[in-house]
This record gives sequence, structure tokens and C-alpha cells, in this order.
Amino acid sequence: MAIFIILGVPLLLAIGTFFVKRERFFGVINCVGYFAVLWASIAMCREVVLTGYIQALSNFIYLDLLSSVFIVVTSVVAIAAALYSIAYIRKDVEQKIISERKASFFYLLFNLFCFSMFLVPAVNSLGILWVAIEMTTLISAFLVGFYNSKESVEAAWKYIIICSAGIVLALLGTILFSYAFSVSGLSKSLNWSDMVPVAHILDKNVLKVAFIFILVGYGTKAGLAPMHTWLPDAHSQAVAPISALLSGVLLKTAVYAILRFGMILIKSGEIVFFAHLMILFGVISLVISSGFILVQKDLKRLLAYSSIEHIGVISIGFGLGSPLAVLGAILHVFNHAVTKSLMFFGAGNIVSAYKKHNMNTIRGVIKALPFTGIAVFLGMFALTGFPPFSIFISEIMIIMAAFVQGYYFVAALLLLFLAVIFGAFIFRFGKMLFGNLPKGMVAQGEPLSGKLVFLFLFFLMCGVGIVLVFKSKDLLWLTQRLLQG
Amino acid sequence: MQGIILFLLLASTYLMIIAKRMPALIRSFRYQSLFLFLATLLAAFHEKQIELYLVAMMIIFLKVFLIPYFLNVTAKRIKVDENLGLFVNPQLSLVFALIFTYCSWVLSVNLGFGQGSLQSMAVTVAFSLIFNGAFLMISRMKAFTQVVGILVMENGIFLFASSVSGGMPFFAEIAVFFDVFVSVVIMGVFVFRINKLFTHIDVNKLSRLKG
Repeated sequence: MAIFIILGVPLLLAIGTFFVKRERFFGVINCVGYFAVLWASIAMCREVVLTGYIQALSNFIYLDLLSSVFIVVTSVVAIAAALYSIAYIRKDVEQKIISERKASFFYLLFNLFCFSMFLVPAVNSLGILWVAIEMTTLISAFLVGFYNSKESVEAAWKYIIICSAGIVLALLGTILFSYAFSVSGLSKSLNWSDMVPVAHILDKNVLKVAFIFILVGYGTKAGLAPMHTWLPDAHSQAVAPISALLSGVLLKTAVYAILRFGMILIKSGEIVFFAHLMILFGVISLVISSGFILVQKDLKRLLAYSSIEHIGVISIGFGLGSPLAVLGAILHVFNHAVTKSLMFFGAGNIVSAYKKHNMNTIRGVIKALPFTGIAVFLGMFALTGFPPFSIFISEIMIIMAAFVQGYYFVAALLLLFLAVIFGAFIFRFGKMLFGNLPKGMVAQGEPLSGKLVFLFLFFLMCGVGIVLVFKSKDLLWLTQRLLQG
Repeated sequence: MQGIILFLLLASTYLMIIAKRMPALIRSFRYQSLFLFLATLLAAFHEKQIELYLVAMMIIFLKVFLIPYFLNVTAKRIKVDENLGLFVNPQLSLVFALIFTYCSWVLSVNLGFGQGSLQSMAVTVAFSLIFNGAFLMISRMKAFTQVVGILVMENGIFLFASSVSGGMPFFAEIAVFFDVFVSVVIMGVFVFRINKLFTHIDVNKLSRLKG
């Protein structure tokens, strides 16, 4: 069973950190482990496409198309982060920023974090889903506060408090869902697979109130504005490979949780309510983040605000609800994860070479770090939705769906703010990447594993963008199946 | 009987709202958890569910003894002054608390729990615990109050769960309990770190990250 490999390998690796003391050696083992996880997740995805769904451990684990997509996304970013960590952590150890013991603590947290993120899409019970999401917060708080500086501890504190308070509201929503289920005379259960078939007989008013709590609660974790205030702090202070995991996957696991509840709401016949709420929050996120992106000077914070923007786009896509829009949103989940990881890795390299975050004082990255510079340059175009990269395809799908369904205003807003953000990115990155080298900087070599990550992500970013154009019919058919539950 | 316990739960929440010092806050939290334990025990007795008895045991073990003890130890070890640093004075806070209680009554009626019944009272108290917990989090200066605020919100949720649906499935409930405990410990660790780095735990002074 592939799912046991996916959940088991991170746990085994976490235990392994207590026995393997040399971080160099362990980084390589880590990579091999996550390679196995990636392979297993693709095998699992194939099985789900063929059979419809997988149940295991007496209904504790339930995997359908939606969850397998999120598991694949997680495993892709996890292997990239594992590969990138080797060089990044070694550099930190060599420069005496962290000790060897702390490096193995990093790998312990890294693996537990990945385990909790794999657990979120795999479980069936909505109660355990809540526990898994809270687990991701608790573990990643240590990774945000990893360097123990004033800034990072402040960011970690805001992160843990705001997300815990938000998630308490999500628990309230979960209990309201189970209340709606129990008053209709059915047996006590929080299993998603038990709730969906009977969704049409549940009390709609309770479901609506419950979904508002869910959206605010998990929306805090997903980074939907106006509950996003923790996000730029946490993402900019975390260790670089973890920033990629936070932005690329963690936000999406919360989106996944919202979708699970949303599907019950849709099945009960309240699709308009769901659509309007998702589109509203999506548009607010887009507007607020574009304002902050325009005035942002800090490199990693800029990328964090860009994550809020993309979560907004994803939320609009799922809100529109037609097969084309949902396909666009799911592809956007994948494309954003890949592209944003690449950008955060690049930002990590730049920050550790220049020792500063402020984009106005960083100059000549392409000369100092040729490989990273070019990767970031291309990644910037990909992130802002430039063809032929993959984000362009998914964004155009969502915009097309908005026009087809008559949401002209939403489509116009999307186009306007995407253009604004594109301009802001070109302006900020252009000055940072080009220009003369500052005095005392020389061009640096880059480690092989770092280069490999960029190539791997770039291949996905570009390849998916080109392949998708020819495969969209099959994918639309799969999305229709996914929407049917 | 259940009405009296619900009243006491609400009263202990108001005690927390007007508390000015850390030990008073933690003591009131202990009372609140004790009444929550009694409410759950009563619900277990009425519905004759063994699982609810176990949940009640968990409440008394974790929320009445372990977590307040842990909070007290942490408060002693960080050696900051015990005042909570109120942004809103106690009288005004109490007015807010009463408004929240009224709002939660309106909410519970609108959700269709019926007027006047014990269940609607329980739901009202549960919602007002949640709102007051959130209010505690935003209206006090010390990082500690935010931890206690989250715990109050969670108490409200447990009351809600045990009064409307006879609790969640047992396995999920145990997992949630474990999670709550772990999160309190981890927040405690971060309070330590903040105290070590900043030599205070005033959250309003944590303002290095902006924009």
C-alpha cells in the first residue's frame, strides 16, 4: 500500500535523526526517503484514478482524487525542500550559525512537519483533520522561530497564537457540522465519507453558519485576507526550505480542509452561498496583497504577500465551481507550489550571500550568483503569469471560466490586479537582479544539490505549462469526476 | 442542577474578565474548568455514555490540574510583574462581556436551539465563553493572557460539543485533548523564549515586523 510508505517514511526518518548524528550524511538519506515518497504518491495517484477511491485501516484513511492531488503536490515540494536543505543546512553549520545538534533537530522537525502535512489529506474523520492541521501549526512554529532571533521568535509567537485562535473557530464549525449530522437521526460520526451521501437531508441553516466558522478558521491558516496578518512574518522569518514548504504546501492543506466542508455544503444544495463566500474572500485577498506588494521592500515578505495573492486566485477558482474553473484552481495549487518553492529557494540563496533582506540595497544578483539569478529571473516571470509557464495556463482557465459564467466584474478585477502585481514584480526584481556588484562581492560557486533543485522545479514549471495544453480534455473529465465526489 | 452549573461557569468567566493579576486569572480558569467537568459529568449521567465519563476524567486531569499547574510554574519562573496590563479597564470589560453573552443568546436562538430550554442555555454559555476568550486575547498586554484566552475558547467548545451532540466521536475527542495540551506546552516554551530575548512578555511591544 502506497499510503503507508507516504506516511511511514517521514516518521522513520524522524526517528532516524536520533541515531544518525552527522547532518551531511543524514541530508542525503532524507533525500532518498522523500524520493521514495514521491514515487509512492504518484503510484497512489494512479491507483485512485483507476479505482475511484482507497480506504484503509478500517475507514481511518480515505483517499479520493482530491486528496491524492494534494498529496502529490506535498511530496513534490517535500523532495525539493529536502534536496535544497542539504546545501543550505551544511552552509549554516560551516558558518557556525547553528550547531551540528541543532541541524539534526532541524531534520527532526522537517520530517514531523512533512508527516503532519501528509496526514491532513489522508484522514477521513473531520475531527482528526482538525488535529492534523493544528499539528502542522505547532511543529512549524519551531521552524519559524528556528534561528532564535528577536524577529523570528516574534513571528513564531504571532503565528502560533493567531492560527490557534483561528483554528478554534474551525473546531466549532466542525462540531456544528457533526451536530447537523446527529440531529437528522443518524449515528454519531465525523467521517467525511459518511456525511457526503446524506448531505441533502441535513439542516441547511446550521450548515451555513458552520461553514462561515470553517471558512474563517481554516481561512486564517490558508492566509485568506483579512486573516492573513501572521503570514508575511512567519514566511519571511522561517528557514528558507521551510518557507517553501509553508508557502507551497501548508496554505494548501488549509484550502483542502475548506474544500472538504465546502463539498458537503454543495451537496446539500447551497452552492451559491459557497461560491459567493469563496469569491468574496478571494477578491479581498487579491486586493489587499497587491497593495502590499506595490510598496514592499523586503524580498521574502514580497514573496509571502504574493502567496496571499495566489491563494486568492485559487479561492476564486474553487468558488466559480465549473469544471474549467476547478481544474484551473487545482492546477494553480500545483503550479504555485512549484514556482513559489523555486522563488523561496532563490531568495534563500540571495539572502545568505548578501546577508540582507532589503531589495533596494541588493544589486547585481545575476553577476554574484549566476545560476540562482537566472532561475529567479525566470521564476519571476512564471510567478506573475507569463506564458509559456504553467501559472499562465491555470490563471487563464480561471479567468475564462469567470467570463463564461458571467462574473465579468470578478474577471475584470482579476485581470487588473494581476497586471498591477506583474508591474510591481518587474520593477522590484529588475533593479535587484541587474546592476553592478557591490564592492567586496565576488561571483560565487553554487553547490550541485542546489542547482539540481532549480532544474527539477524549472522542468516542472515549464514542462507542465506546455504539456497541459494538449491534455486538457482528459483533465477536464477527471475534474468532473472529482466534483461528483 | 444543570442550570446552576451553567450559571457558575458564566460567573467564573466574568471573574476572569475582571481579573487584574496573573494568579487570579489562573485560579478563575481552574474554577471554570472544574465547572466544565461537573457539566460534562452531568451530561454523561443523563445520556448514560461511558465515553463522556472518560472525557470528564480527561477534563479534570488536564484542565483542572495539569494545565493550571504548568501555567503557575511558568509564571513563577519567568519572574515578570504579575499585572496583566489591561487595555480595557475591568468595568468596561464586564460591560463587553455582558454584551457578548446577549449576542450569544441571540445566536443560539437563531441556530434553532429553542428558547428557554436547558440546551439553549448551555449553547448560550458556550458561545459566550468563546467570545469572552477571544476578548481576553485581544484586550490584555501579557503574552500569558493570550494562552489563557485560547484555553477559555476551547472550554466553550467542549461545553458546546457535550451539550449539543453528546460529544464528538471518542477518538477525535481524545486527539483534540492531547493537541490542546501540547499546544499549551509549546506556547509556554515560546513565552520563555520571548522573556529571554526581550526581557518582557508584553505582546504590544512585539512590533519589529511591519508592512
